[in-house]
Amino acid sequence: MSTAQDVPVYSLRDVRHHYNGRAVLAVDALEVPRGIILGLCGSNGAGKSTLLRFLAFLERPRQGGIVFAGTPALDLASLRRRATLLLQRPVLLRRSVFENVAFGLRARKETADLSRKVSEALEAVGLPFAAFARRSWRELSGGEAQRVAMAARLVLRPEVLLLDEPTSSLDPESEERITAAARLARDRHGATVVVVSHDLAWLRGLCDTVLRLAAPLPSGQAAPLTEPPLSEDCA
Amino acid sequence: MRKLSAVLCLVLLCSAAPAAAETMLMATTTSTEATGLLDVLMPQFAKDTGIEVKWTAVGTGKALKMGENCDVDVLMVHAPAAEKKFVEDGFGTGRTEFMYNDFVIVGPKADPAKAKGGDTAKALAAIASAKAPFISRGDDSGTHKAEQGLWKAANMPLPDKESWYVSAGQGMMETLVMAGERSGYALTDRGTYISYEAKAGANPALVILVEGDKVLLNQYSVIPVNPAKCSKTKKDLADKLAAWVASQKGQQAIAGFTLEGKQLFFPNAK
Amino acid sequence: MDFLFQGVRQAIALLLALDPATFSAVRVTLEATFLAVAGAIALGVPAGFLLGYIDFPGRRLLRLLVETLLAFPTVVIGLLVYAFLTRNGPLGDLGLLFTVSGMAIGLTILGLPIITAMTAMALESLDPDVRRTILTLGAGRVRAALACLSEVRHSVALAVVTAFGRIATEVGIAMMIGGNIKWHTRTMTTAIALETSKGEFAQGIALGVILLSLAFVVNVCVTALRRQGAAG
Repeated sequence: MSTAQDVPVYSLRDVRHHYNGRAVLAVDALEVPRGIILGLCGSNGAGKSTLLRFLAFLERPRQGGIVFAGTPALDLASLRRRATLLLQRPVLLRRSVFENVAFGLRARKETADLSRKVSEALEAVGLPFAAFARRSWRELSGGEAQRVAMAARLVLRPEVLLLDEPTSSLDPESEERITAAARLARDRHGATVVVVSHDLAWLRGLCDTVLRLAAPLPSGQAAPLTEPPLSEDCA
Repeated sequence: MRKLSAVLCLVLLCSAAPAAAETMLMATTTSTEATGLLDVLMPQFAKDTGIEVKWTAVGTGKALKMGENCDVDVLMVHAPAAEKKFVEDGFGTGRTEFMYNDFVIVGPKADPAKAKGGDTAKALAAIASAKAPFISRGDDSGTHKAEQGLWKAANMPLPDKESWYVSAGQGMMETLVMAGERSGYALTDRGTYISYEAKAGANPALVILVEGDKVLLNQYSVIPVNPAKCSKTKKDLADKLAAWVASQKGQQAIAGFTLEGKQLFFPNAK
Repeated sequence: MDFLFQGVRQAIALLLALDPATFSAVRVTLEATFLAVAGAIALGVPAGFLLGYIDFPGRRLLRLLVETLLAFPTVVIGLLVYAFLTRNGPLGDLGLLFTVSGMAIGLTILGLPIITAMTAMALESLDPDVRRTILTLGAGRVRAALACLSEVRHSVALAVVTAFGRIATEVGIAMMIGGNIKWHTRTMTTAIALETSKGEFAQGIALGVILLSLAFVVNVCVTALRRQGAAG
C-alpha cells in the first residue's frame, strides 16, 4: 500500500505543446517526488517557462496529461491554489507591498492573523515589515520587488513552489534571500520546489536533483531528460 | 444599476422647475428668443396667470415638426402659409395672429447691384441680374420661407442653383456676418439687423437697402397644439397664452419692448 | 479680434457678479455631464471589460464596431435619441425630451464608445505576466477580473476624463434633446451657440472661458486622484 508520501506530486506523460505550428515543448515522462527540490536546466527555447506554466495550471498542454498527486489535473482553477509560480520578471500588482503579499490570502478568504502572516513572509525574504509593508509597488528596486513577490508566494504555504529563473537579474543579496526562502519553503513547510534556470552552478547549490530539459527534436519528438554534464553550461 | 437610477431620480428632482405651479412647453423661432422679447413677455405672462412657459428656439420648420410630434404644447411662429397647413392638417387648433415685425433687405453700402429702393421685387431682380452674392438662411426657418416667397412674388425662379446664391444653413446672425464678410446681400428680420448694427460699431459692412414694402411684413401667431392628435397636450394653458398675447396687457408689453432703443415688434391682434 | 479680450474680461465679470443665468448653465452642464459620465462608466467599463478581457467569437468585429462608433456624429446621436424620446416615440411617455435626464441619455451614448474602447484597449495591453501573477496567487474568476481592472485603473480614469471633456463640450445633442431652455436645459455650449447667434461674440467667449476653466478644474482633480491611486 502506498502512502501519500509515495505518490509523486507531478507525473507527466507524453506532454507536447506547439505554438503557431512550432513545437515548443516535448516531455515523454517526468515524475516529481513530494518534498524534493528539483532543478531543471536548459537553454533558451527548451520550453522551461512553458513547462512551469503547465505545472502552475495556468495553461494546458495541447497534448498529454498531467497527474497531480495521483489525480488527473482537470479543474485548473482549484488546482492553482495548490501550486504557485514565481515569474522570472519581478511582477507586482499596483498596490502596496502589504496588499501584494496579502492578495493570495484574501483570495482564499484566510484573513485571520493577516498582519502576522504577511510580516513573517516579509521577514523571511529579509524585508522588515515596518519599513516595507506600507510602501507603494513603485518605491522598490528590482531585487526588492522580486523578494516581495516571493513573500507573496511564501505566505500561502503552498504545496508546490515553482520558480522561473527567479534570480536571473538580481543583486547578490536578493539572490541569496530568494535562494534561502526557497529552501525554507521546503525545509520548514514541506513544499515541493521546482526551479528552472540556466545557471547550473546555482541550481546544483540549491537542488536535490538537477535534470536537463532540451528543446524538442525537429521531428517534434522529445529529447530525453538527462542529468546535465558536469560543465557549467546547460546547453 | 440601482445606484444609477437613484442618481437619475436625484437629478430629476434637482432639475424640476423651481417656481410656477403649471408649466408648458413652447417651440418658437430664433427671432423671439435672440432679440430678448420672450425674456420680457414670459415673466409678465407668468405673473398674470401663474403659468411658466419653457421655450425652445428653433427654426420655424423644426418648430412645426415638434408640434406634429407632440413634443410641445404651443407654437409661436411666423410662417403663415405653413401655419395654415399645420392647422388644416389638424395639428393645431387655430392661429391667433398677434404681432408682426418686418424684414429688410441689407447689402454693402456701395450697393454694386443697385438694389436700393422701396420695391422688393425690383431689388431682387437687380441682385440676380448683377449676379451679386446673396446669402440665404437655407435652414427652412420662417425667414427662409419668407425669402422663398419673395422670389416667387417677384416672378423669378428660386436661384438656389446659381453660383452667386449662397445657402448658409445657419442662423440669422451668422448669415449676416457671412454676408458682411463676402460683401453680399441678405434678407433679415429687422431685430437681428439692429443687433448686428449695434455690434458692428460706426461703420457696419451692411446697410438697409429696402424697407417698408408691404410684402416685407412678417406676421407672428400663436398656435395651440391639437389635443385630438396629442392627447397629453396642455391645451387649456396654450389657450391662455394665445388669449394673453392678444389681450391689451400683452399687446402693450409687445409695443413697449425695444432693442437698442428701437421698437421691433408691432402688436396687431384683431 | 477685440471681442476675444473683451470676452475674457466679461468672463471674469460674470463669475464675480455670480450671474444667475451663467451659473444655471454651469449647473445644467455639470448635472448632465456627471449623469452621462456615470451612465457611460456603468455601461462602458463592463462592456470594455468583456471586449478586452474575455475571448469570444465575434469579439474582433465588436471591437471594430465600437471603434467606428467613436466617430458617431453627435447630431446623428441627437436625432436617434430624439426619435425615441419624442412624445410620439417609443419612450415618449417618460417625458424625457427637453429634460436634463434626456440630454444625459444622448450624452451617455456619446461617451459610451470612448470608455468602452479605451477600457478594452487597456485590458488588451495588460502585461500577460500580471494576469498570470493574479491567477497563480489563487484569485478566483471574479477576483481575478476585478484585480485586472484595478491594474488598468489609470487608463480607465483617463478614459473617464476624455469622455468628460467630450461630453461637457458637446453641443449638437444638448441642443437637440435639451432644447436650450433657459434655467432648465441651457448648457454652457448651447448658451454659447445662442450668444453667437445673437452676435454677442464676447459673451460667447466669456462662457467658453468658463467652460475651459471647468474642464481644467476637473482635470486637476482627476490628476490628483490618480496620483493618490498610484501611491496606494
